[in-house]
Amino acid sequence: MAHDWQPDFEQLVDEHQAMVFSLAWRMTGDRGLAEEIAQDVFMELDKHLPKMETAEHARFWLRRVAMSRSADALRRRRVRGVDLWVEMEERHGIKLEERSSPLGARLEQLLTTLPEAQRAALVLRYQEDLTPEEIAATIQAPLATVKSNLQRGLKLLRAKATSHLKEYVRVKEQLGGV
Amino acid sequence: MDEFEQELRQAMERRPAPPGLKRKVMERRRRAPRPQGNALWWQRLAATVVLAAAVGGAVEWDAHIREERQRGEAAREQVLTALRITGHALNQMNAKLAAHGRAQE
Repeated sequence: MAHDWQPDFEQLVDEHQAMVFSLAWRMTGDRGLAEEIAQDVFMELDKHLPKMETAEHARFWLRRVAMSRSADALRRRRVRGVDLWVEMEERHGIKLEERSSPLGARLEQLLTTLPEAQRAALVLRYQEDLTPEEIAATIQAPLATVKSNLQRGLKLLRAKATSHLKEYVRVKEQLGGV
Repeated sequence: MDEFEQELRQAMERRPAPPGLKRKVMERRRRAPRPQGNALWWQRLAATVVLAAAVGGAVEWDAHIREERQRGEAAREQVLTALRITGHALNQMNAKLAAHGRAQE
């Protein structure tokens, strides 16, 4: 019963901290900033806690506010995606090689070079597994715009990956030839 | 979903939150000022008092203006009465003077 649901702040932080932090990090590319954003989002949740009607409502609200606060932070910083990734590697010691898949690491790097709207659509689509309709509701954008951003973002990412990941392609071809 | 999208989905798995995130949030929550029940009650009372004073002041001011207008009307009436009496007295005086002039002729 949805009406029986009572929001438990600590439990909501437990359940959704990875989601909020990941959204903020992928949108800003800055781990420290993402942590600050995540804290702010949960503090805002605390103020709005009585208005949360269901667990799904709380999750939707957290996604929406995390994306919105990340966009605000990006506008304040006016930093481009490539620079953000360089900052991510240099300041936080994150190496591409540490990730499980070289292609995955490179894709994540390339993602930060996409325009913000396309990056937001792709992050919500592939991190959060949302449908275009859910993405439109989350970022409060027209469905047609979201679909367009998804298509263009994916196309651009694929093109960047094709040109930047020659080594990966070669390895795949070699593996395919075996 | 093609292979590229599968890779993308794997690359975009949620990252674990920093270990201290929850603790920091809970600490900030404890430190954050919270509106108390009593404080809210006092705020509401103060707002009611201010509103009542404003309404009372407006009513009082309206009554004051009305009273001033009534006093003005009464004073005007008194002046008009005095003018009528004076006019009447002057007319009588003129009539007496005219009668006296005719008697001397």
